[in-house]
Amino acid sequence: MALPISRAKAKREWRLYLLIVPSLIMVGVFAYFPAASAIYHSFFDWQGGENKQFIGLENFRRIGSDGVLWSSFATVGALIVFNLFKMIPSIAMAVMIHRLRSDRWQYLYRVLLVVPMIVPGLVTLFIWKFFFDPNLGLLNRILDATGLKSGLVQIDQWFDWGVFSAEAPIGWLSQPDLILPALFLWGFPWIGAVGVLIYLAGLQSIGSEIYEAAEIDGIGPIQKFFYIELPLILTQVRLSLTLLVISTLQGYGLQLLLLGDSGGPGGRGMTPGLWMYNRAFIAGEFGYACAVGMILFVFILILTLINNRFVRVDK
Amino acid sequence: MSISSQAAGSSRGRDWPKHLFIIAVLAVELLPLYMMWQISFKDNSGFVQNPWFPSNPLDWKWGNYAYAARLILPYVANTVFVAVSGTAITLALALLGAYFFARYKMPYSGVLWSAFMVLMLLPGIANIVPLFVLLKELSLLNTLYALIVVGVAGGQVFNIFVLRGFIEDIPKDLFEAAEMDGAGHLQQIVNIVVPMSGSIIGTLSILAFLGKWNEFLLPLIVLRDKELFTVGVGLIYLDGEYVKQWGQIMAAYVLAAIPLIAIFLFTMRLFVKGLSQGAIKG
Repeated sequence: MALPISRAKAKREWRLYLLIVPSLIMVGVFAYFPAASAIYHSFFDWQGGENKQFIGLENFRRIGSDGVLWSSFATVGALIVFNLFKMIPSIAMAVMIHRLRSDRWQYLYRVLLVVPMIVPGLVTLFIWKFFFDPNLGLLNRILDATGLKSGLVQIDQWFDWGVFSAEAPIGWLSQPDLILPALFLWGFPWIGAVGVLIYLAGLQSIGSEIYEAAEIDGIGPIQKFFYIELPLILTQVRLSLTLLVISTLQGYGLQLLLLGDSGGPGGRGMTPGLWMYNRAFIAGEFGYACAVGMILFVFILILTLINNRFVRVDK
Repeated sequence: MSISSQAAGSSRGRDWPKHLFIIAVLAVELLPLYMMWQISFKDNSGFVQNPWFPSNPLDWKWGNYAYAARLILPYVANTVFVAVSGTAITLALALLGAYFFARYKMPYSGVLWSAFMVLMLLPGIANIVPLFVLLKELSLLNTLYALIVVGVAGGQVFNIFVLRGFIEDIPKDLFEAAEMDGAGHLQQIVNIVVPMSGSIIGTLSILAFLGKWNEFLLPLIVLRDKELFTVGVGLIYLDGEYVKQWGQIMAAYVLAAIPLIAIFLFTMRLFVKGLSQGAIKG
């Protein structure tokens, strides 16, 4: 902890305040000012220039009847559920590596885990876009080669989806009904290197005597996970869960690059963030975009408060 | 660490199912990397004929790389400029700020701390529209400086948060001894804080650098001139071309990754270790 300081000494040490000034200025200008400006401009009809017109709550009234925005919240809800599911492989991976007997293998696997991080995130994204390509893409090739595609076609005929057909290649990013499944598949096998390393750090704090005691009690590997390992990484799991929900809710980079600025065919990939981007930079409705941002902010704030109330993160 | 992991493993005799699982997952995880590398040496027809395996090294299309280098290296240079200067300034300012919070409980430091931490709740996305207009008014639009200053501002909260914890753990005697010798606060930062928290500063720098390297939304909004493009915008532009030569595109991807490869080669150990450390603390 920082040392307490007497008033007299604090006066003598006034220069310390100079150290915080640069950070304070940066944050003030590039975080607080835009935030205030966003709140202010959400009550205006504003194209981003000098001219603006106060319209009161008109933007918010429009939000109430904005079908695109509300269906985009449904989409982002689905994405959050997907992402929660996608946390499982990282946890499983960390537990598997942790349970290995040999330290040398453990280290080797950690290094191999980090290797994909050398590829810029954007490149990974584009490579996946390439995998989804109907004609050249890896995904359709694998489905063809393994015969899984004919299975999909059969299921399709059974349920009459009209999505998969034997003649045409599967258009993962061009069929409205396949947008969400494609966003689910994206990034398979969903290992986050940073996440795994953080879970591993948590697992490492388990003392050997706990395992020995568990062994004497004859506990199986699955019980071992739920009674020993999971509780110890719960802090990290909760923390990454929180960050995940918030970042998914705000996210639009993935959708923008995979599907374009209108959320792909049928707008199925539209998220609230992308809609805000679209309104501001495509339609030029900056005031309305600010109002959408406010709504998003309120959602995130409520989630954070719920999280702080119910999901305690002990330090 | 070694004791606990041995105990963890010894309970169930066999390790090979775990190895099998881990290797299978890693193989899929590394597949995009492999595909990127091997396609970068093919032209489109070569790829259609033989999509899975590397082509004969004698047939490697080095022209892909020549083309990609002309295209992407100027963008790489821009990005290096933004990422290096951005990371350095971010860490320098955050270090000063964290020292302020960690050294003494100065009057109002609690209020200032909350002023920083509350920004963690503020979604960056709600800001992006006014930020764009602000940059326009500061005539920073279409400059690389815009990316640097916004990055520095955005990095303050997280880095101050992490660094404060590490600086508070430095034994107070060190500071007192330095003060006896007449060292000012800046000297204490340079001579005590920096050496004592070198590994976390290194880890934070890598994370900051990676973040800036991967950034594409802000550059996409801010940059207009092709000469100023960073790697992110450059790749998006490349993706938008109508007839795609996948070999050339993949070669560009490889080139865009090279600076990161270099960094990881030098800092892998630090990164794998430092991240675990930081995780336990933060």
